[in-house]
Amino acid sequence: MNDQSTKNETIDISKVEKILEDYKNTRGAVIPVLQKAQAAYGFLPEPVIDHIAQSLNMSADEIIGVATFYAQFHLKPRGHHIVKVCCGTACHVKNAKALSSKVREKLKINVNETTEDKLFTFEEVSCLGACGIAPVVMIDEEVHGEVSPDKLNDVLDNYKKSGV
Amino acid sequence: MKTIHLVIEDKPIIAPEGINIFQASLDNGIYIPGLCYHPKLSQFGGCRLCMVEVTERRTGHRFACAHPVSEGMIVKVNTPKVIRYRKSVMEYLLVHHELSCPICDKAGECSLQDITHELNQSPSRFKAVRMDYPMVRDNPVLELNRNRCILCGRCVSTCKEIEGIAAIDFQNRGIKTVIGTAFDRPLECSFCGGCVAVCPTGAWQDRTLGFKGRSWEFSKVPTICPYCSVGCTIILNTKMESVRRVTSDDYLGINEGNLCIKGRFGHEFIHSPERIKTPLIRKNGELYPTSWDEAIEYVAKRFQQIKNEHGGTAIGGIGSEKCTNEDNYLFQKFCRSVLGTDNIDNMANIKSPALNGLIYESVIHGMTSASLKEIEHANTLFFIGADMTEAHPVAGSMARKAIRLNNANLIIANVRGVQFNSIARNDIRLKYALGSQIILINALIKVIIDEKLVDLEKVETSTNNFDKLRSLIDKFDREEASKITGVTQDAIRNAALLLTKPGNCYIICGKDIEENPLAEDAIRALMNLCALLNPAYRGDAGSGKVSLFFSRSHNNSQGVNDVGVVPGFLPGYVNINDASNKEKIEKSWGVKFPDTILKKDAENVIDLALNSKLKALYIMGENLVVNYPNGKKIKEACKKIDFIVVQDTFLTETAQLADVVLPAATFAEKEGTFTNMGMTVQRINKAVKPVGDAKPDWQIICSLAQKMGHSCSYVSPKEILTEIETISPMYAGINYDRLKRKEFHWASSVSNKNKSTRYTFSMVKPRSSEIRKNKDFPFVLLTGASLNHQGTFSRHSKSLMSVAPECFVEINKKDAQVLQINNGDRVAIESDQNKLTLKAKVTSKLPERVVFVSEDYEWVPVNILRDRVHTSVKIYKETV
Ligand code: SF4
Ligand code: SF4
Ligand code: SF4
Ligand code: FES
Ligand code: FES
Repeated sequence: MNDQSTKNETIDISKVEKILEDYKNTRGAVIPVLQKAQAAYGFLPEPVIDHIAQSLNMSADEIIGVATFYAQFHLKPRGHHIVKVCCGTACHVKNAKALSSKVREKLKINVNETTEDKLFTFEEVSCLGACGIAPVVMIDEEVHGEVSPDKLNDVLDNYKKSGV
Repeated sequence: MKTIHLVIEDKPIIAPEGINIFQASLDNGIYIPGLCYHPKLSQFGGCRLCMVEVTERRTGHRFACAHPVSEGMIVKVNTPKVIRYRKSVMEYLLVHHELSCPICDKAGECSLQDITHELNQSPSRFKAVRMDYPMVRDNPVLELNRNRCILCGRCVSTCKEIEGIAAIDFQNRGIKTVIGTAFDRPLECSFCGGCVAVCPTGAWQDRTLGFKGRSWEFSKVPTICPYCSVGCTIILNTKMESVRRVTSDDYLGINEGNLCIKGRFGHEFIHSPERIKTPLIRKNGELYPTSWDEAIEYVAKRFQQIKNEHGGTAIGGIGSEKCTNEDNYLFQKFCRSVLGTDNIDNMANIKSPALNGLIYESVIHGMTSASLKEIEHANTLFFIGADMTEAHPVAGSMARKAIRLNNANLIIANVRGVQFNSIARNDIRLKYALGSQIILINALIKVIIDEKLVDLEKVETSTNNFDKLRSLIDKFDREEASKITGVTQDAIRNAALLLTKPGNCYIICGKDIEENPLAEDAIRALMNLCALLNPAYRGDAGSGKVSLFFSRSHNNSQGVNDVGVVPGFLPGYVNINDASNKEKIEKSWGVKFPDTILKKDAENVIDLALNSKLKALYIMGENLVVNYPNGKKIKEACKKIDFIVVQDTFLTETAQLADVVLPAATFAEKEGTFTNMGMTVQRINKAVKPVGDAKPDWQIICSLAQKMGHSCSYVSPKEILTEIETISPMYAGINYDRLKRKEFHWASSVSNKNKSTRYTFSMVKPRSSEIRKNKDFPFVLLTGASLNHQGTFSRHSKSLMSVAPECFVEINKKDAQVLQINNGDRVAIESDQNKLTLKAKVTSKLPERVVFVSEDYEWVPVNILRDRVHTSVKIYKETV
């Protein structure tokens, strides 16, 4: 699970320590703590999870159980831009697969991976609720409708140019 | 409790209010298929298999495990519709399941397999997609094949609720959900094996079995665990005269199928190649195998010789905390009536000489009246000086049950920050300064009296000496107490408030208290506390109970004392100096004790040996050389004895010093009874033949007695127990055959007989035990129990050895920093007696200037360092 390990990077535990101060002796604090920790670190690194476990008097295994259940939590570092290719029914029919292939080929990463320069993370999601303009790709908060592989190529280039 | 009337499968049933249909059916022997519900776990409702037809006001379908019984309810379990539904659920469950029954150790006892078979499940309409997760085999005792998992959640709940560990949980979601650890790290847990026991499929497996037999080939023999004093029932699974694995039974004994690592995986010693298989006799300085005839003849001859020349009292006897009551009874009878010596003892009594008397007193006053299992019904739990997780793990699970189901309050007083995971809402930890236990207990008493937390007038009228206690306590200052103990006044007060709440209050007094030089005072103070906590004085008009439990180390540490392997006390704590008792026993044994037997020196057996008053020592099932608290002394003592006979299962350090070694059978190879730390007598059952020429201890003693010209014609432990019953009033009503079905609790029969005894408060001066400060040896060495090991048996159990191959010295973080000691460094611990080198474990559990080494790793003789309970040591990094 930790193939993109963060072990060699030092993680600054003080950030999560601060977050935990507010939740001392509160029951059911796991989810809010995880949310705040993720906001602070961008994802949930292993040492942070261990620290949370210790402070909340739970096992890391339980916490990871929660963290892996909710799609909102990420255990791997994520890129600056999140590319979400919709694979819902409508988009699937409109050949969303070709879009996924495009991302893979262009960014050289698989689903749920992050480019080496940490610019992009590639995710496949189910219906984004914009079936009218299928196939849909969402980059960060921006929705791109009726995308073709070529168009996607250009869109990604634009993001690359503007960088972080 | 309100009861509910309902009908399940045309059978009228009365069930307690609040339980679900599934449980009501189980209780009445009606079968509902279900894979996730388990009576000892909280309801989960994940497998969706237990659908039944329910008619309340209307008829509908409900999940039996999730639906409470109601008055007039009619339940049908097997309507065509229900069966159709059930089949389709199974069809879904089996889409991913690999159905590898022919190569699965679970086959034959697998609920999934059984239900598939029972439903006559036809081939699936779905194209099967088999999971292909790799086998998780990251520890020596358990393996997890996630392809066989149906995600019923039982293992997750067991680990969380019963063990309090939560080492595993559901990971991921949807189709990718699996059981596992965080980041797929290797399993790090207590290895209780609870997950294996509850898993309804072959996902979790016991690696000690490792295909050494199919489930249907095993004979299953229920017996009692040979390790700690909880006395769990274990099931020995045997095939061709060998024990292949241990399983558990949720409905037998006191432990609801819960075990710890030792009970479940520590069975390999039974067939260890290192067992002693023939008698050994020393010739020219070496031990050589010999025949039983020669060995017995030689021992009998030497004993007789010594008796003739020096008198029987020149022979000492050490009984066993691990052998049965019957073995031990016969042992003391042999020593007293054949050898003519009362110089006998056992390690439990040697380590804690005041304990027997105090326990008996406590029983008489009805303060030690509950059996261990009653802990489950506690409302308040107070562990003082007891490390439940390491020393009495399954009693810890009982406590967790009380916390989960009754919202029990928890108070843990200990010098170390012992680990005990719980979800108790009120969880108070009193980490008191080393030696200050009496001050702490008195401080609790003071709060109770000062704040009138119990009805003091009633206390006054129903006890003696309360006024004296009061004036003693009046002089005692709470602030001062807080300073000495290092526990805040608030914490002490809160603990006192919890203790005095209505309901069942159970106190467990641990080894730290019992083996302390001030044990007697501390226990008397605890008894004072218990007297105040009598439910009659606490709110709620007398409902509830208070009970004081005393920690014992081994499976039969209680029993060895009960049956009289104690100097000066005949079976049942009958004083040998009391003429009428003596006569009664003499008559029943058909002997006359020599007068010399009564001329008691105050010295214990080992001191006698040191003073050259012992010529021979007969040791049964005890590795004295390692377990005697003072290693130097015991070695010197052994050197002074001419003739040592050791009767044991392995060639222990003690057996290696013997002149004759007699091979004894293990618990699995004999019959008899053990008494647990809650005074419950339980029966053990023979599962396999003794290895080699080994014999049950009682038989060996019989042969010796016969050789020495005494009749000793017992054919089985049953007869011995019957004799014990007639001799000792404590055992009135015990019956060997009945023990097969039901355990016997001697404490309740004794305290019932003494109902009217009035308690007299003891005046216990609040003082600390002296910790000698020493500039050269600035640390204090503490010792204690270990979860993974306990003496000779665990040492010879392969799996336990691979889980815990190393004994560590624990040291406080700050001290470690100063001494530049890191985890895993080799560290020397040196006292003025000796030196030991161990790996360090840095921890925040210990106070500063205290180091801890477990005494249960038999191959690490901590006792060579010790000359008293709190030995001063120095510690330093060993440079290579
Ligand atoms: S062996 Fe016990 S502690 Fe370990 S995972 Fe299984 S249930 Fe949990
Ligand atoms: S491993 Fe066994 S007990 Fe655990 S969820 Fe899977 S099937 Fe249930
Ligand atoms: S060692 Fe104690 S707690 Fe563990 S299984 Fe045996 S009796 Fe039970
Ligand atoms: S299926 Fe892609 S937006 Fe709905
Ligand atoms: S037994 Fe009821 S849902 Fe599993």
